[in-house]
Amino acid sequence: MKDISKSVVRKDHEEKITGSCKYVADYDSKGVLIGKLVRSKKAHGKLIGINFPKMPNGYMSVTYEDVPGINEVHIVKDDTPVFAKDSVEYIGEPVAMIIGPDEKIVNELVKETELIIDELEPVLDILKSDTVFFDYEYTKGDHVKAFKEADKVYEETFSTGYQEQAYLETQGMMAEPEEDGKILVHGSMQCVYYVHNAVKKVLGSDDFHIRQDPTGGGFGGKEAWPSIVASEVAVAAYKAKKPVRLVFDRREDLEFTSKRHPSITHYRVAVKNGRVTAMDIDVKFNAGAYTTLSAVVLQRGLICADGVYNIPNLIVKGKALKTNTVPNGAYRGFGAPQTFFPVETIMSHIAQDMGKEPLEFKREHLVKQGDMTSTSGMYHFPVPLEDMIEEVAKASGFYEKRKKYSEKQSGRYRRGIGISMHFHGAGFTGAGERDLIKAVAKLKKHKDGTVEVLAANGEIGQGLRTTFPKIVAHELGIPLDRVYYNWPDTGKVPDSGPTVASRSLMVVGELMRRLAIKLKEIWKDGEEQIVEERFREPSFVIPFNLDIFQGDAYPTYAWGVQAVEIELDTLTGLMKNLGTWASFDVGTPADYNIVMGQMEGGLLQGLGYSSMEKMDYDKNGRIRNNNFSDYLIPTSMDVPNMNVQLHVEEYPDGPYGAKGAGELPLVGVPAAYVEAVSQALGGVRINHIPFTQEDAMKEIAKKDE
Amino acid sequence: MVGSFIPKNKKEALDLKAKYTELIPYSGGTDLMVENRKNPSYLFLGKLNELKGIKKTDGKIEIGAETTFTEALESPIIPQMMKDALILIAAPAIRNTGTFAGNIGNGSAKADSALIEYGLDAVITVESVRGERNIPIEDFYLGRKHIDLNEDEIITKITIPDIHPDFYSYEKVGGRKALAISRIAFLGILEMESDKIKSISVSFGAVSEKIIRYKDVEKMLIGLTKEEAKAKKDEFVKAYEDRMQLTEGRVSADYRKKVTIKLLKEFLKNGGI
Repeated sequence: MKDISKSVVRKDHEEKITGSCKYVADYDSKGVLIGKLVRSKKAHGKLIGINFPKMPNGYMSVTYEDVPGINEVHIVKDDTPVFAKDSVEYIGEPVAMIIGPDEKIVNELVKETELIIDELEPVLDILKSDTVFFDYEYTKGDHVKAFKEADKVYEETFSTGYQEQAYLETQGMMAEPEEDGKILVHGSMQCVYYVHNAVKKVLGSDDFHIRQDPTGGGFGGKEAWPSIVASEVAVAAYKAKKPVRLVFDRREDLEFTSKRHPSITHYRVAVKNGRVTAMDIDVKFNAGAYTTLSAVVLQRGLICADGVYNIPNLIVKGKALKTNTVPNGAYRGFGAPQTFFPVETIMSHIAQDMGKEPLEFKREHLVKQGDMTSTSGMYHFPVPLEDMIEEVAKASGFYEKRKKYSEKQSGRYRRGIGISMHFHGAGFTGAGERDLIKAVAKLKKHKDGTVEVLAANGEIGQGLRTTFPKIVAHELGIPLDRVYYNWPDTGKVPDSGPTVASRSLMVVGELMRRLAIKLKEIWKDGEEQIVEERFREPSFVIPFNLDIFQGDAYPTYAWGVQAVEIELDTLTGLMKNLGTWASFDVGTPADYNIVMGQMEGGLLQGLGYSSMEKMDYDKNGRIRNNNFSDYLIPTSMDVPNMNVQLHVEEYPDGPYGAKGAGELPLVGVPAAYVEAVSQALGGVRINHIPFTQEDAMKEIAKKDE
Repeated sequence: MVGSFIPKNKKEALDLKAKYTELIPYSGGTDLMVENRKNPSYLFLGKLNELKGIKKTDGKIEIGAETTFTEALESPIIPQMMKDALILIAAPAIRNTGTFAGNIGNGSAKADSALIEYGLDAVITVESVRGERNIPIEDFYLGRKHIDLNEDEIITKITIPDIHPDFYSYEKVGGRKALAISRIAFLGILEMESDKIKSISVSFGAVSEKIIRYKDVEKMLIGLTKEEAKAKKDEFVKAYEDRMQLTEGRVSADYRKKVTIKLLKEFLKNGGI
């Protein structure tokens, strides 16, 4: 293990263990107005008017009319209103806010507020949606020819469900007018500059700054949504000239904030001489009512739609479609789980049809260094999948179990084991890092010799407050307690980019390393010194053209192999996880314990996504699973025996060889899980997740008949 | 709103409940704390020693209504089948404070301890200043969220027989391993006398408005040898299949029906029928 990988006590350990860590809801309420949103109860309609009750002294309403700038939240596109003006597009859409000193009274006033809405028919089924937010297509090779010449063409449709981030801390934000006339907006978020750019448009001025508070988990759920919440509180504080705080309760957060996009994917696969020669892939994502992050989520999903395989001919089409439901957004994996599940699963099904073991068939198609990617870029670095498969197979006893469970089983309990492979493109998709983000970071050495990290990336549990200083201290050769990273504040730190896409450690961490080298060269005791670094795209990168999806979508890839073993109870459909094994290559771990925590946590979220996390809306467009009794996530008792190995394939342009880590462990789980369940069910084909106990029972009942 | 009270003893609790009938009995509070009612009027009973404790008296086991699940799990007197159900309730923190009274007091057919009480023909004792009533559990449950408890009464005791059946089977189907509200729960008990079936008890929880137990169907097998019962097995199972009207909830009625019948058949098979 490299020195840098040796685990240290996290910088936020003490405050989180003792409970002294102050989240946005913990700030003193004295003089703070409580905000509550008036939300649409209809999924679609024309907004005719709002009848507010008489406001007691000190209470007021806030609507689009109070927005000093433009009533649009800047995300990727700007179609999300701060407060609905002419129409409502989903149940829960914010139409107004009521603020005042007493929460109970504010709640009463919200209840008494009447929205006059001319109801329109909502669109709830993506297959019936005629509003296409984003429509992409790309090709590789000659797919027409390949399909024409195929021995056999396989076709299958897959679907995936919602997944809720279920962070411990719900969305919350506070805006406070300061003495110099500026407004400070602070709260729970991943990306201070995303929020900054949103608030700038809404306030129509630069008289504000954004600060991240300790954030109780994000998982992508605090990538875009905080821009909306911050815009709401900023407008309210601007109007009231007083501090305003808005913290969602759990039901609100579950029902009315973004989740992973549900998807329907259709695969056509051409096989000739026992090899897959082409894929024709059609991907549909349910975007919800506004575009938010759907464009970029869809892009990532499409780019990895052919999996870890060298498929010479491709046509990949994808749409993000509007429905009158809550806008969907980022969740760890960002579009990739929705395509890795089908591609892995159809590869298994084809193998079975050909009488081959899926893993053997898949291995014949694995990409390797120097191969062309789906977007005609290149896998520039070694692909360690073969070794990682062996690591996982050995640890799990995969071959013996797979063979044993394929024999006819009897009795109440039946077993199955499955394995899947995947990658996660490290960093922002395409040319975003170079053209849009242009990350800048600084180090400030104080006179006392302590060094402060100046960057915009948020600690959301993934350990950045520890790993950034760790890299700097390592390079400077000074103790870790001499380097610190405060909560980023856009009034003080440069824009080192958002906390997304597993990019922070790889991209900004590398800036930290270079900054420290720079500072070391000019270090003078007793002086304040500042050094600055900017992102430079590695020279090997084949420029990505988003219009035609051609080039290197990612500079490098993190790789994953996972196996899941389950035991099915044929009387109840319950599936017990007997063990989960994985090998993950995230390059050099910046801190072993932190990375292992990420890997195991992500695996568990993947298992929940595959099995029990089920959320849906009813015929009116209302999400019913709005509490943790109805939306089940795994408890500590559901954590299986997890055996995770780190396989290190160093990336030369990441700090000490590190590459993207955070998202990787979730992405590949569903295919392994479903393959295990399928085996336990005697080879039944499964093409949707979550695959619940009820789904299993349906299959068991079919066999009974 | 009369406020909340912490009575010193049972008598004071009964007096208070008679005087202020709107008082909500508060045992462990594991449901009420979550409800977080505005300005509630609670009668705190959870710490009253007179209502706690487990004792064995001539073939019967009396469980104080305010006994917590953890206390019951630690008791050598509580039958294993009850423990099988209790250990799967929620999570340790909830078992440490949740009580028998609370579990049946909210009238849910999903209550895990209530299923065992149904299967064992438990008697629920309720008391008021007017005296006490002893009610068989199947009469105590009137319907969904509806129990036979007058507004001046509190639940004080649950009595179950101290039996050691030849065979029983308890199954809980939840959505996950802990903190899981039962989606289906099953209890089957078989008692033999020489080679004849002395009693058979089959109860289904969490599948309907009330816990299901059909004593008239059970009679079909009483007095038969296992061999004789086998011949009647299909008819027996079909009686349940025909009669059970299960409700749609977190899982479909169809799923519930399939699983309940499978669990019933498994119980019979493992019991030698």
